Amino acid sequence: MRLFRLTLATIFQRKAWVICVLAVVVLPFALPLLSSATEKPLLVQPARILASWDTLWICAVIWGLFTAAREGEANAQSGRGEYFLTTGISATRQLFEIWLAVFCFLAVLTSLTALICQFAAAPADPVERTMWWVLNTQYVVLFLLVISPLLALATALASRFGGITGFAVTLGITLYGLYGVGYLDNLLKLEHHPMLHSLWLFSPQYRFADLTQRLYFKSGALPASAFWTMTLYFVGILAVYTGLSRLCFRTKLSS
Amino acid sequence: MKSPQTNPLLPSIHLDAGLEIGYGSPLARFGQAVILGGGTHFLLARNGRGKTTLLRTLARTLKPVAGHFGMEGFTQYLPEDLRFDAEITPAMVFRMLLPKARLQDALDLAGRIELDVKKPYGRLSTGNRRKTNLLVAELSVKPDSGNILLLDEPFSGLDAFARQVFEEIWHASSTNVLRLVSCHPDYDSMEMPSALMIEDHNARYLNGHAQTWSQLKTLLN
Repeated sequence: MRLFRLTLATIFQRKAWVICVLAVVVLPFALPLLSSATEKPLLVQPARILASWDTLWICAVIWGLFTAAREGEANAQSGRGEYFLTTGISATRQLFEIWLAVFCFLAVLTSLTALICQFAAAPADPVERTMWWVLNTQYVVLFLLVISPLLALATALASRFGGITGFAVTLGITLYGLYGVGYLDNLLKLEHHPMLHSLWLFSPQYRFADLTQRLYFKSGALPASAFWTMTLYFVGILAVYTGLSRLCFRTKLSS
Repeated sequence: MKSPQTNPLLPSIHLDAGLEIGYGSPLARFGQAVILGGGTHFLLARNGRGKTTLLRTLARTLKPVAGHFGMEGFTQYLPEDLRFDAEITPAMVFRMLLPKARLQDALDLAGRIELDVKKPYGRLSTGNRRKTNLLVAELSVKPDSGNILLLDEPFSGLDAFARQVFEEIWHASSTNVLRLVSCHPDYDSMEMPSALMIEDHNARYLNGHAQTWSQLKTLLN
């Protein structure tokens, strides 16, 4: 795991992760103080939920994807990928080790968010409280299932087409999956269009993994069947993106 | 042709006659088979004649145009332009990449060749970056098996003292490490008892105990 350790140390040394940790830890407590929640104490906890998960999404989508893309590009352009390849670390293994290093940082950020949500924004009602940790865990699982393959895709695209492409494409896919698909859905409800319908069918429905509103309105945990269906759906996307990432990933510049 | 290695644990490179290297079209061709064993072998050619291409072919990151070759040993190819992240220090690179048992050796050696291991890689001079890369490769050598180090211009930017230190290391580990070193020597008396030379699209092997750069450079076109 030499490349994993090197990538982990590189990201650690750049220190941009500190901003993300501070944002994830501080903003859920600071932002509600700036909102109307100060006048209505009942709104503090919902505001904290919004602030914590939205901050995590922003950190993951901006810092996470950017870091993954940067590492993929650097590995191919710096000669490191070629060096590791000759020592027996295959391209698949290199992609995995770079992905794992970035994932470790995001896993910590996700855990911090879930802990804040669990212990600093849990409802007072005992029944709602029992469902809280289940919903939080479900959210963590779905969030990581969505972001993990995107990290791999950002790394792989950046190794072949450059860091800007790797970052911009995955950022676009994420925003489209979170918001664009919803607009498309509304459009299709108003007017049926076979082309748009096909596009919608093959679009990643990341909005289903965003359980912030469910936490906000205390709607309770997802039913087990719905959760497993969504898990399977995102595992399917993960499999497709993993295959695409491996096809795109390269360890050195073209000859 | 050099005498072949008989012990399978010792490193070796077998270049078959007819091996052609290049990017699509051949840059150089081996007219005769060459077998290299443990020790240091220099790779000499003028710019653009195929030194890096041969090293990358042997490292299996580039396919030969034609022909075959074989390698025995744990291989490392150190590209000339290898670099680490600008923010990371050589000490961190060593900690992350080297076996724990070799870390202190790396730090001691770095001290000996005056490499500041606490300075960020991006602020190191070209020579000091080269020292970092070479230390990684040299201390990643596996002591209990054969090793092949393919070094692309490791001396460029390196000061004479550091170069001498590395040459001493090379001499001491010549039994289980085969080094193929591409370089442009800068002094005539440099001894090169074993050299692969590429000139006029032909690659050939030259050896001799008294062979020096001053004799070999006259053969380069």
